[in-house]
Amino acid sequence: MTSSPRFRTFAFACGSAFAIFYVVALKFDLALFTVYPSFGVVLLGTHHSRDVVAPSLGFLAPAMYWYGWTATAALGALLFGLIAALLPERWTRKFSPGLGWMIPVAAMMGCVYLTLPWFRL
Amino acid sequence: MVTALLIVHGLVAIALLGAISHQTLATWAPAHARPRSFFGRLRTVRSASFANTIVILYAVSTLLGGIVYLRFRVDIRPGLERAGHWPALGLFDLKEHFISIGLALLPAYWVSWRQPHADETSRTRVAVTSVLAFIVWWSFVIGHVMNNIMGFGR
Repeated sequence: MTSSPRFRTFAFACGSAFAIFYVVALKFDLALFTVYPSFGVVLLGTHHSRDVVAPSLGFLAPAMYWYGWTATAALGALLFGLIAALLPERWTRKFSPGLGWMIPVAAMMGCVYLTLPWFRL
Repeated sequence: MVTALLIVHGLVAIALLGAISHQTLATWAPAHARPRSFFGRLRTVRSASFANTIVILYAVSTLLGGIVYLRFRVDIRPGLERAGHWPALGLFDLKEHFISIGLALLPAYWVSWRQPHADETSRTRVAVTSVLAFIVWWSFVIGHVMNNIMGFGR
């Protein structure tokens, strides 16, 4: 299965789509779930402490979104990859395999841009 | 327990760093390098044989990092925030973003090494490997820096 052209298409489409979906999830804070490690609680969706009681709750119960952003992007990328793998080969051949690394590099630059506020504090 | 996991995470990361650095240097080495030179010797090793190992090491390292990260968020990060290490926290955030992007790049990386397409230039393989090598180096260095600022056991 892994040697088939479909798997190749899936691999490159999935990697590129994940990078795009990850930046989108990061920008719009679209975590599939939120993890509260101090309580061992996982809540579906994105939750911020101000939604519950007060912003100071963030120090008492820190929330983690990285797992959720990764899950959101993985879900989107999986669907995109499967659809791309099912497309006829004459369609997918038009896309350069170079996009398989250019899009992730662009996404990494997007992450740098979205992280810039940390360096202005 | 978490300290032991952090040490294992570091050791796996060192193995990954060595493997991917070797493979990346081999792909960048000039094809006409003298056989007995440093680059010549690098090129004699079959780089494709590293691919499976690198995929496994990357996945294991990410898994261990993902487990240790829970403790980091509760016990270490608040201390870093109170101490005002904002740039370091920003660099660490980039590490987590890059690792996720690298994780999704693994199937494409594996395919480009194990199943190279007939009508595809080696440029894609070199580029994907280089991107992954950058992510691994970035993660290793930033993880090391964070551990030096405020490691476990405090």
